[in-house]
Amino acid sequence: MNIIEIKDLKKIYNDSEVAVHAVNGVDLSFKQGEFAAIVGPSGSGKTTLLNLIGGLDVPSEGSIRIDGVNIGELSSRKLINFRLNNIGFVFQSYNLIPVLTAYENVEFIMSLQGYDKDKRHSRTVELLKSVGLGDRLNSRPNKLSGGEQQRVAVARALASKPKFILADEPTANLDSKSTSNLLDIMEKLNREENITFIFSTHDQRVVNKARRVIQVEDGKVISDEAIQSP
Amino acid sequence: MIWIIAWKNIWRNKVRSLVIILAITLGLFGGVFSSAVMKGMVEQRIKEAVSRETAHIQIHNPKYIDNNEVQYTIDGEAQNLEQTLDSLPEVKGWSSRIKFQAMANSANAGTGVMIYGIDPEKERQVTEISAMICDSCGTYLNGEKKNQIVVGEALAEKLKVRLRSKIVLTFQDQEGTLTGAAFRICGIYRTSNSVFDEMNVFVRKTDIASLLIMNAQEYQELVVRLSEPDQVTDVQEELTDGFPELLVRNWKEIDPMIGMMADLTAVWLYMFMAIILLALGFGIINTMLMTILERTRELGMLAAIGMNKHRIFLMIMLESVYLSLTGAIVGMALGYFLTLYTSYTGINLSSFAEGFEKIGYNPIMYPYLDLNFFITLTIMVICIGILASIYPARKALKLNPAEAVRSE
Repeated sequence: MNIIEIKDLKKIYNDSEVAVHAVNGVDLSFKQGEFAAIVGPSGSGKTTLLNLIGGLDVPSEGSIRIDGVNIGELSSRKLINFRLNNIGFVFQSYNLIPVLTAYENVEFIMSLQGYDKDKRHSRTVELLKSVGLGDRLNSRPNKLSGGEQQRVAVARALASKPKFILADEPTANLDSKSTSNLLDIMEKLNREENITFIFSTHDQRVVNKARRVIQVEDGKVISDEAIQSP
Repeated sequence: MIWIIAWKNIWRNKVRSLVIILAITLGLFGGVFSSAVMKGMVEQRIKEAVSRETAHIQIHNPKYIDNNEVQYTIDGEAQNLEQTLDSLPEVKGWSSRIKFQAMANSANAGTGVMIYGIDPEKERQVTEISAMICDSCGTYLNGEKKNQIVVGEALAEKLKVRLRSKIVLTFQDQEGTLTGAAFRICGIYRTSNSVFDEMNVFVRKTDIASLLIMNAQEYQELVVRLSEPDQVTDVQEELTDGFPELLVRNWKEIDPMIGMMADLTAVWLYMFMAIILLALGFGIINTMLMTILERTRELGMLAAIGMNKHRIFLMIMLESVYLSLTGAIVGMALGYFLTLYTSYTGINLSSFAEGFEKIGYNPIMYPYLDLNFFITLTIMVICIGILASIYPARKALKLNPAEAVRSE
């Protein structure tokens, strides 16, 4: 069963004299447990597409259904709540809260969901261990390397038990070793816990790991290819 | 958890936060101490006016207030009134006075005065004039000698007389005949109000009654001192109900200037602090705006991951309130300790004594503030913190999360 269904999705920016079709009639669907990469050159519309899927931006036309819910019809307040409980985000610049430790950054999202302290504690520790940071619980982001920060960001994205995780160029700021390490962790989570990952990326190393590659150009999907696991 | 994050957030840029906290600390410290000095001055003036001039309550024949003539006495009701006052537990003491205007003349000069014919023992329970006579300045109508008088230092200087000098008092008796007598100065008092000292003299009621051809049981004025100042309204109401034909006034009505000062000071102090806080509020707005600008990406991330607008607003509001409260608590504490210290030592402004005493103020000030002031001020600080956060928070809430997370 599809967890995401996108139909005739369009995003048109009318800021300048000429309307810009950032996303121009995209039809896509994603199943539970996919490990998909959206690729394309700069300005092709992959980040806009990811923002629309994540409910961070509003489509001009078309619909996005997540688990049957048309997120374009949700009010602003309901959409925020929907994101909190259904979608995990990993950003290019990690975007951790610098005044909080790794533990607190992961715990924070669960406190927004209203979980009690005991539940938060056990899940936070478990998640940080699963991304290999069991010994860095009390480190603040400025004491962590870029790769470690991005792993905390992955743990944070998983903390709310989302239906899928959207990762916008997650390896863009990482060196090869950190990239490889991060991808291994995400792939392991995908295989062992059936967690759905959707990336937007330029990075060939990410593309090489993906089991589905969606090529976007001028706001349109020009190819959508499933890759067989070796 | 938002409470903790907000607290940690204000320490991200320590220098910037400390600058605004220091500004709030100094503003509040200065404001609190200035308020304490003002309040102390006014409270002292009220206390001195009540204990030396007006007492808490005065009772008159209403016609006496209109005409100031000696024949308008409290006579028929005097005994009942005195018995009632003796039975009221709130009453600390009362004193009946023969009160009228006269001319006082010495060999060198003359001036108009207000004569108070009193029972010294009763008067001691109500006013503190007896304590205003220094050791070398005589006594308070002690002894058996007749026609003694206690005068203020300012009057003695004006008439160019000294202790044991004689002055002649000239006045009309109850029948309208001009009469007079010589009185010997047995004591010279000095309050912090030189105008009062120049105007008012005290003699024994028994000495003056016979000169006025009055019964010593009659009098023009009865003054009442209460154990607690806040009982004034209740006792005034009780006496007004019990003696409707008499005029019962409290100290605010007797001396409207002092009454107005007491009411106005309470309002003015809060206005004064509100102006200081308003000015500091703009500093807080500026600090918070800079904070929002610096944290655009992070705020975008928070909105993206599902932190709703109420929580984002709450976090920014808490940061603003924490900044305000931290500075305010330190400022109020410093102001409180300086007030406490100077309330024991006093602030000696004797070099301006003449000016102060002309307007009835003691040149040694004892700053004073009550707990209510600090409670109200804390609430005002929290309100300013909340108000100062509204504009920056609105800016934060208007951020588009998709754009904000990618901002530099």
